[in-house]
Amino acid sequence: MLSEELIAIVGERHVLSRPAELLAYENDGLPGYHSRPRLAVFPGTRDEVVAVVAALWRAGVPFVPRGAGTGLSGGALAGDVVLLGLQRLRRIVAVDPVARTALVEPGVVNASLTKAATPFGLHYAPDPSSQTACTIGGNVAENAGGPHCLKYGVTLNHVLAATVLLPDGEIVALETPRDGRAGYDLLGAFVGSEGCFGVALDVTVRLTPNPESVVTLLADFRSLDAAAHAVSAIIAEGILPAACEMMDDATIRAVEASIYAAGYPVDAAAVLLVELDGAAAGLADDVAAVDRLCRASGARDVRTASDAAERARLWQGRKKAFGAMGRIAPDLVVQDAVVPRTKLAPILARIAEIGARHRVRVCNVFHAGDGNLHPNIPYDASDADEAARVHAAMREVMELCIAEGGSITGEHGVGRDKLAYMDRLFPAASLDAMCRLRDAFDPRRRANPGKVVPARYCREWAGVTDVEP
Amino acid sequence: MSARDLLPGSELCVHCGFCLQACPTYLALDDENDSPRGRIVLMKAIAEGTLAPGDDDANRHLDQCLGCRACESACPSGVPYGHLLEATRERLATVHPLPVVARLVLVVFASPLLTRAAMLGARVLRATGVATLLARAPGRIGASMAMLASTRRAASRAARAAPAGDGRRGTVATLDGCVMEGLFTAANRATERVLEANDYRHVSAPGQQCCGALHVHAGDAARARTLARANIAAFERSGADLIAVNSAGCGAMLKEYGHLLRDDPQWRDRARAFSARVRDVSELLAAAGPRAAGPLDGAPRVTYDAPCHLLHAQRVADPPLRALRAIRDVDLVPLPDADQCCGSAGLYSLVEPGLSQRVLSPKLAHIAATGAAVVASGNPGCLMHIGAGLIRSGATTVARHPVELLDAAYARTGPSA
Repeated sequence: MLSEELIAIVGERHVLSRPAELLAYENDGLPGYHSRPRLAVFPGTRDEVVAVVAALWRAGVPFVPRGAGTGLSGGALAGDVVLLGLQRLRRIVAVDPVARTALVEPGVVNASLTKAATPFGLHYAPDPSSQTACTIGGNVAENAGGPHCLKYGVTLNHVLAATVLLPDGEIVALETPRDGRAGYDLLGAFVGSEGCFGVALDVTVRLTPNPESVVTLLADFRSLDAAAHAVSAIIAEGILPAACEMMDDATIRAVEASIYAAGYPVDAAAVLLVELDGAAAGLADDVAAVDRLCRASGARDVRTASDAAERARLWQGRKKAFGAMGRIAPDLVVQDAVVPRTKLAPILARIAEIGARHRVRVCNVFHAGDGNLHPNIPYDASDADEAARVHAAMREVMELCIAEGGSITGEHGVGRDKLAYMDRLFPAASLDAMCRLRDAFDPRRRANPGKVVPARYCREWAGVTDVEP
Repeated sequence: MSARDLLPGSELCVHCGFCLQACPTYLALDDENDSPRGRIVLMKAIAEGTLAPGDDDANRHLDQCLGCRACESACPSGVPYGHLLEATRERLATVHPLPVVARLVLVVFASPLLTRAAMLGARVLRATGVATLLARAPGRIGASMAMLASTRRAASRAARAAPAGDGRRGTVATLDGCVMEGLFTAANRATERVLEANDYRHVSAPGQQCCGALHVHAGDAARARTLARANIAAFERSGADLIAVNSAGCGAMLKEYGHLLRDDPQWRDRARAFSARVRDVSELLAAAGPRAAGPLDGAPRVTYDAPCHLLHAQRVADPPLRALRAIRDVDLVPLPDADQCCGSAGLYSLVEPGLSQRVLSPKLAHIAATGAAVVASGNPGCLMHIGAGLIRSGATTVARHPVELLDAAYARTGPSA
């Protein structure tokens, strides 16, 4: 039996098969979906991962890799297949302060990596809001972003190499082509493959020097529209902030009611959190310019964090905002769409109009500088009428973003949640090409089946039957 | 009915996972069933009836929760995890009874007479040196004896500096506490002296009993309510403006009497008024300064470990540090992960000894790395658990209540304005 074989590899405590113990693994960070894995297995070493995947291959059983389960697209849902949890592999194997790299196992928590790099004046730049919980393996799978990716780039720009275990048990070393070496960027294909191409056994990441100087501004607006215009004005001025984040009034109030209260103005319609960093020389000019542009766009007030502690509070409030949504209503739809930055103001107005028409409350907390929207709608799923209105409104929002030349995900991935939008965004030929790329890594569709590309677009699709939502 | 009605507060959880890394048992066991959000899933399922209350898996994972409430300090949504756990344990009490040893402890603590007898027995073991002798013995006996041995104090010097306070900050009654009065008698007297030295007037509150915290945590809310009513009445009789507590676990309980008696129309308002007057001793000291003192003999290096029920349950973070900083020349060094549970957690070290030790071991390593001669912490459970761990690991560091250190400093020099 499969579970006995897995127990022989990882030990009894690390294989879960009874219903009560699988409940906690029925969903990831995205509320609203539940699907029970057939089994959950948690290897503790690289060798155990290899042995487990080999056993699954022999048994012909698909698996879903999972890090900390903080993903927001249902990417780690493992209904009826095996959930492969990698959170026990959390060794930071090496930090090289000279080369500014680190070699880590996939279960290392994002914030722990930065903590390990801090003594060397370095940090790991991609900083998803869940960074205190999420893992590097999950970040690689989702090509995770975060506020500071505006200036520093997403996970893809910080991964230098990975040792990848393919679903058939083959181990391949993938590297970014550099130093004159030629060839396809297979590592680039792997980063963001949402667990469909295999499992990273280790990852070599770039560490970034801490900036000499950092200034964090909080601008307070009477309307979303004014805040959106300020974002465009800042970018148009040629300034590249380290981060440029927007939060609307409902989000501000949820955060201010929480343990992460940051001192945001609760009577504001929106706030912008703008961080400028770099060499101390010249930074003051950018700070003055951002201050001026915000005020010219209608900011009531612009203030600057006075010290590191206040800066940390301002960021904690922003980063924990998603979790604070539970204060508004028990259920939540979370979205992640990208729109052209120049259209931010009109699109936010249209989203508000869609919300009003469906009588739902859209809460905006997002990476404004990237045009990466996170419209969230808290609601009560036990109210069937409200639930229907919420989903109808969200569909309209996503269709609007696609129609305006945007995309359906900036950083959360497609997972299961956004499968239905894929064929609105891509023609059939493109989806088929994605399937064929996948064939290079996982022709039998054993890793995270049924995610990212709707199965019907894969011509040679081989037949896992339990994957359609 | 939905989880909101069946387990109020559980609807606040959106499963974001921000609690995971705050949870000592998740870090030790790597299983979400032993994490806050995983346990909330289990508690909801039990409340809704999708899991049988007798489910062995669910009960094991819930039993393994320390109840440290560090997750509450990490939760953006304000999930009242401690209340969810207490409500669930109350629901499970009949179908999933506690181990015999734990039930015995609860019976003893509910009776002042039995408590006094048990503490007397413990003091005999301590005074005769039996506890010290057996402190390094293997297993539970050794661990218990080490806990007892860690409470030993050198006889206090006869002459104490007269308190300099003028009582203008109002009258304060102190909670004696079962273990504090039984085994940390010196710390209780020190508490009274440092309060007096900082202008509070100490009054006694006869008739007070066990706070009931252990009972609530074990699902015996009925007995805890009986104890709460007795305590409210006793402290009302004392006429004190404020109630000071030097045991973080008891203080957190006293501050929650309003919640405990929320469905009792006769006591609800009295309980709320009572809870509003409860302070940790460090809060009172911080409000008064506290007056500077010391230095201590040899200016020892001191580090501070935050009791979970002070930091996470009461949200009191800085006052104990202010009390320690009032000691002149104190070499106060930060303890890494001081916000993480030591594994004591009331009855936990008794009923889950293995996991309790696993949670303790990183704590001991961090303490050793500071090079501190004293680790200060304001809760008897933590003092004994850490103290026992130090003894059993052969360390020379001792665990002390912050007021013991402040009192010793006052004794040397007297409080200064």
